[in-house]
Amino acid sequence: MDQFRVLVIEGHAEESACLRQLLESFAEGGEGLRPVKFNVFGDVEAALTEYAALRPDVVIFGPQAAMDATADDLQRLRARAGVEPVPILCVMSESQSITSASLQSGCDDILLKPYNPSLIRLKLAALQRFCNFGRSLLAQRNRIRRHHADLLQEQASARQIFSNLGHESCLGQTEAIRYHLSPRAVLAGDVLAAAYGPGGKLMLLLGDFTGHGLAAAVGAVPLTSIFYSMVPKGFSLGHIVRELNTKLHNVLPADMFCCAVMLEFDPHKRHIRLFNAGMPSVCLRRGSGELRLLESRHLPLGVLDQASVDEAIIHIPVEDGDYLYLWSDGIHEARNLRGDLFGEERLMELLGTQVPEGRYFDRILSSVSRFSADQHDDLSLVEVALDDAAPWRGNGWVLEDGPAKRTPRLGDWSIHFTLGPEELRDADPLPLLHSVLAQVPGAGSFLDPLTIVLGELFRNALEHGLLGLDSNLKKTDHGFAEYYRQLNCGRRQLREGWIRITLRCRDRGGRGLLEVVVEDSGGGLPRQLFTGNAYSGRGLPLLRAICRKVQLEPGSSRVRAVLNWGEAAVPRKKTGTTAARQG
Amino acid sequence: MNVSEYTAARVSSELSENGEALVIRVAGSFDFNVHRDFQRAYQNLSPSPRQYCVDLSETLYLDSAALGMLLLLRDHCQNDGTGAEPVRVELLNANEHVGNILTISNFDKIFTIR
Repeated sequence: MDQFRVLVIEGHAEESACLRQLLESFAEGGEGLRPVKFNVFGDVEAALTEYAALRPDVVIFGPQAAMDATADDLQRLRARAGVEPVPILCVMSESQSITSASLQSGCDDILLKPYNPSLIRLKLAALQRFCNFGRSLLAQRNRIRRHHADLLQEQASARQIFSNLGHESCLGQTEAIRYHLSPRAVLAGDVLAAAYGPGGKLMLLLGDFTGHGLAAAVGAVPLTSIFYSMVPKGFSLGHIVRELNTKLHNVLPADMFCCAVMLEFDPHKRHIRLFNAGMPSVCLRRGSGELRLLESRHLPLGVLDQASVDEAIIHIPVEDGDYLYLWSDGIHEARNLRGDLFGEERLMELLGTQVPEGRYFDRILSSVSRFSADQHDDLSLVEVALDDAAPWRGNGWVLEDGPAKRTPRLGDWSIHFTLGPEELRDADPLPLLHSVLAQVPGAGSFLDPLTIVLGELFRNALEHGLLGLDSNLKKTDHGFAEYYRQLNCGRRQLREGWIRITLRCRDRGGRGLLEVVVEDSGGGLPRQLFTGNAYSGRGLPLLRAICRKVQLEPGSSRVRAVLNWGEAAVPRKKTGTTAARQG
Repeated sequence: MNVSEYTAARVSSELSENGEALVIRVAGSFDFNVHRDFQRAYQNLSPSPRQYCVDLSETLYLDSAALGMLLLLRDHCQNDGTGAEPVRVELLNANEHVGNILTISNFDKIFTIR
């Protein structure tokens, strides 16, 4: 068994002999006391020198030494003991009053002389239990410290992984998006992802996983990997959200889910689609100052195995000077010293006041941190300046895929692709065509304009050719929503009809012509597409800007567009921003 | 750190005399700290109740961990649903703040909220 180590300080020969004799009687231990081992030193200096080697459990000042002991001596002894509480006892005779100097030096207890061995044994045994308790407490503290250090190390690794995951994002490349994610964001379960799809559509996702710590962070891995793999392939918002939901439902435990807002901004058609599943309302601040809240319309991702997302997606036309504000519940739930919540009302008040710059991002952040006296930092805030959110600025794309690859040969080929009613009900043919074309040498630099053209022509065939929807509906906010309701409804009820897409490529010495023909089984494009300014408001000029030739006629269900392969121009400027509402 | 004083939540439950309906009450903050008590309230009941009510009248606050616990309760009921009638989970008497959180999360689509 471990020994109970006693360090004795006594210079007086007789007194020290007396103490030795007393302590010898405890050498065998017993009655709750471990075997006592002791060392005697003549003065404090000698004791200090040997202190570290001996690691005493208790220090005793003999009667003579106790009279000379100063507060400073005791301080130095305690300093040697470090954080371990090593009691210091002073021997006093019964005649000494308790106001004596040695008590004022700050000892922990006294031993009375003449010695009563039974009482001293009791006292030492009590101190020994006290020491044991202190030791085990320290050992536990050290273990917790080690675990905590490991935890911090793991969290640092998690942060590192997440910053690498975000490398595909366009967040750092565009000035249109300003964001604040708390340094604890990863482990608080907040995720922000943004990327451009082919054709220049901006996709952005702000998510908030339930729970905290690594479990919350781990869920973000499948979320971001699906996002960054599907967005560049041109999948639609609905498809990506459904995929995210299914994946999260499969991987997350039943009590975990992810609240998320995902939006798609089409800079050509100038509208946004937005899906809010359990996040606080997104605020659309119009250039006019009008505020519109886009509330959650769906269960959080991962709750249901099959999500019906289409009804929950809202479509909103964008006007000049519009901004979007997204936030996590950290802002709503920021509290001041009195415990009041910051809340949505204060946010609306902030966004409702006019500021000259038109940018509210800094104002929101600074007033939340002032409100909560900087005690809160688990909030996420994102601002999207929609005017600047297109991937091009002035004369070129801001985001380049790297140097254009020269391709020796394009080949002569054609693809025919026919979609029946079953497919048209919910399939999105563009990612498929996209992935086929991505295999064609030299198609890389061409995909953006081609995606725009295919997207335009396909939607035109579906919405106007097959379903006969009236674009004039889109002139009002209400009509805009109604248009998309009719589109969803009409698609689901399709029982017959088809759309055929034909792509034909001809190689002319490294440059080539690509012909895109889209036909449908409908009764021909309605005349108002050409006379009204609805479709022609944005769609047609956009097509004409990209293509060498666009042929479409009222009453016909066939549209032909020809692109110059290898030198196709993507529109460098916003098209038709003045015709704000029509899409 | 939360500056407001933490109010310890209490979970209590009550089974109707015929054992068909279970009412679980959560008083105070419905958050991660009550997850053991909350699960204990509905597990190991034999025979299983046909109806579950979570009475939120004394619930001051509810966070996403609590939403997760409600989903676990829902799972528990669905796995139990061997009888002809589906087992129902009702959320009752939510205050404005709690009701707001349930609405944002669209929990009315999978729970009966009254």
